[in-house]
Amino acid sequence: MENSGRMDSVAAGNALIEVENLKYRYPHTQSLALKGVSFCVNQGEFIGIAGANKAGKSTLTQALAGLVPQFYKGAYGGRVVVDGREADKTPICEICKSVGLVFQNPFNQLSGAKDSVYEEIAFGLQNMGIAPEEMRRRIDEAMALLDISQYRGKNPFDLSGGQMQRVAIASILVMEPKILVLDEPTSQLDPAGTEEVFKAVLRLAKAGKTILMVEQKIEKLAEYCNRILLMADGAVVDFDTPERIFSRADLEKTGVQPPVYTRLAKAQGWHIDGKPELYPVRLAQMQPFREPLAALVRQLADAAAVEGADTPETERQTVFEIKALTFSYDEGADARRVIDGLNLCLDGRATAIIGQNGAGKTTLVKLLKGLLKPAGGSIYYNGTDISGRTVASLAGEVGYVFQSPDDQIFKSRVLDEVMFGPLNIGMDKAAAKERSLAALRMVGLEDAAEKNPYDLELAERKMVAVASVLSMDTRVIIFDEPTIAQDYAGRETMKRIIRELSGQGRLVIAILHDMDFVAECFTRVIVMAHGSVLADGTPKEVFDREQILEEARIERPYAAAMCNALGIEGYVRLDI
Amino acid sequence: MPLSIEGKDYEESMVIRMKSISLYVDNGTYLTRMHPFTKLFYILTAVLTAVISGNLWVYAIFVGISSLALVSAGLFKKAVPLVVFSFTVLIVIFLIQGLFYYRNETPLLELGAVVFYREGVLYAVRIGLNILNMLFSFAIFVLSTKPQDLVEALERKGFSPRFGYVITSVFQIIPQMMGTMSTITDAQRSRGMETEGGLLVRARAFIPLISPVVMNSLTNTRERAIALEVRGFDSKERKTYLSEWKKQKSDTLLNIVFLIIIVGAIIWKIADVWIL
Repeated sequence: MENSGRMDSVAAGNALIEVENLKYRYPHTQSLALKGVSFCVNQGEFIGIAGANKAGKSTLTQALAGLVPQFYKGAYGGRVVVDGREADKTPICEICKSVGLVFQNPFNQLSGAKDSVYEEIAFGLQNMGIAPEEMRRRIDEAMALLDISQYRGKNPFDLSGGQMQRVAIASILVMEPKILVLDEPTSQLDPAGTEEVFKAVLRLAKAGKTILMVEQKIEKLAEYCNRILLMADGAVVDFDTPERIFSRADLEKTGVQPPVYTRLAKAQGWHIDGKPELYPVRLAQMQPFREPLAALVRQLADAAAVEGADTPETERQTVFEIKALTFSYDEGADARRVIDGLNLCLDGRATAIIGQNGAGKTTLVKLLKGLLKPAGGSIYYNGTDISGRTVASLAGEVGYVFQSPDDQIFKSRVLDEVMFGPLNIGMDKAAAKERSLAALRMVGLEDAAEKNPYDLELAERKMVAVASVLSMDTRVIIFDEPTIAQDYAGRETMKRIIRELSGQGRLVIAILHDMDFVAECFTRVIVMAHGSVLADGTPKEVFDREQILEEARIERPYAAAMCNALGIEGYVRLDI
Repeated sequence: MPLSIEGKDYEESMVIRMKSISLYVDNGTYLTRMHPFTKLFYILTAVLTAVISGNLWVYAIFVGISSLALVSAGLFKKAVPLVVFSFTVLIVIFLIQGLFYYRNETPLLELGAVVFYREGVLYAVRIGLNILNMLFSFAIFVLSTKPQDLVEALERKGFSPRFGYVITSVFQIIPQMMGTMSTITDAQRSRGMETEGGLLVRARAFIPLISPVVMNSLTNTRERAIALEVRGFDSKERKTYLSEWKKQKSDTLLNIVFLIIIVGAIIWKIADVWIL
């Protein structure tokens, strides 16, 4: 398949999907979300869709399933033919037999009317009027393929995100669509959940299913896809092999960062043998560059050693001291302890807390924030015990940005939303406004101050939530999954914010699943599992310890994983 | 899970409690396996027969039968809170009717100046038994029927699947919404909003909760609507079900018995009136 799947080689008559000059505008908006998109996909291809937020990727997936324009209404032009049928005219309940759509939020894809996984998966088949024996056959097959047979009697709402998302995929798969469209299926999952879903998708691709997948995890797209559809600003920029797409000199202008291998190779001028315009995009393609890479790692390690990693005095001051902390959500003697005898000292260093879902990360930061009260042990902030203080009284000291911005936004003007916190903690109006505008500048939303937060995109709303905590000028700032839903540009902004806050002498604590982000931004990494600390140190110290990573079920950052896979000693941060 | 899954998984599902606001107890006894309509028919029989006959003994017999059914299915404990709640009402009825019933003539019990009358107490007994009868027969139904099973049974009789969906989804989605609510409270407390304190403080704290809750449920509803669409919810095909509800022989038998009882009560009543 490699390099042979050029768009022009596709004979437009027998393609499974044909999109021709598709234009679309959502109701009550001014600009087009899709501006003349054309491409064809053949049976059995695995297509990756890459692009920045607002590039039109999701809209395109919805158009393939007929939801655009049938569900959303709005202005529609051009032609989408899927499996021989026009997507805008065929009823959705018919198209869904050809195109299966899986989207980001696993929770909202559950029908909400079934209380076992088995019945949940059957929901679509019931609607299609499939005979009971056939239903059972298909459900059993899909459950086996997605490795969820063991949950068949469980309530789907009791599953973890990764399990839930696989149930969602199974629910679509049983309807036996020829095409599976996945819209960032792993964006809300932890690393293990992500891996589970990707493995399942890969199995489907190998079984010959035609797959289109929108994804921000670019290394995965490069690894799996035959071709990449690169989108920017509602249009297709390019549609070609991953090598050609990610080797484009102007790629970052479209808001897409190439895979770590490509970035490194580009910087070093390591191109694919005999093709000076193409760079490696997958780990396997890095093999020929093992020697120069090893030399580079040694050189960088030496440089880092000379520079010296002495932490400044201000960063060594203790902020939080946690002693023998225990916590559980249930009461009683047999209650499962979510935090179990934790001892920890947090100083001024930017600290990332990593670990699987259920490891106790969020519980720990909620305890620091005072949202939860310890069952045993104590937490000292600046030397005083905080267990007796209300959350609101701690608000001026410790800021906490929740995972979902929609859990907090309630004002109809961005500036008011950002000013809510500062006013609550007793800042006067002028100071609050000044602080809020500064916070909005920091997150890059100074132009949105007068807008309604709900008119913004999710990634921007997330930044509003960040600003609304930054404006409170707290000494400690806790982020829960700040990179979720952020594209390349958003991640860069988050990096800048974290570095800036840290530079101002504030303690930044973040819960993260994105290991590359951890390696690039944080000086201290705490690995949690089963309610206690498994490892604690610099990113280098932590990501070097294979056993610990395995026990906490954590993946290395791509750069570290690459060195490890190529048998190169040591870990180094490759700032590329 | 009497509808679809048998054997090992069935036991597993018993252990995992469903997150739901329904009172259904999935303990796998004969009552949970009984067809929902049979249980509905029992409510009708118990209430109707007692009212038609007007005889206090008939009330008592049905209360007895219902209690036995609950005990035998291990559900009596769950029904106790209902009874306790109703007792407070019953005691009030006894006091009021026993003392002030307008037909009170024959003193039954004298406590100083307070006199309980026979007529009033009898009348209160009738009301009390009526309430208990309804409560118990209804408890059998509510405690042993999965809402989803009832809706499915109704759908098979031609009930709209859309309406059926609304009913079943409420049982799953409301507990989820309550979870969101507590996250939202935490998010606002985190930004210094005082939520602990007097009535005014708490009332003021309520306002910043409303709009995120509403917006969240709107977004979720919209997404869920899409999820339903792409799973063919609008399909014109005739819906199929995972397994046929095998209406057991016992269901048929019970239905016949119930019918005989109701008809019997009517005939008895008519005969009674005629003879008099």
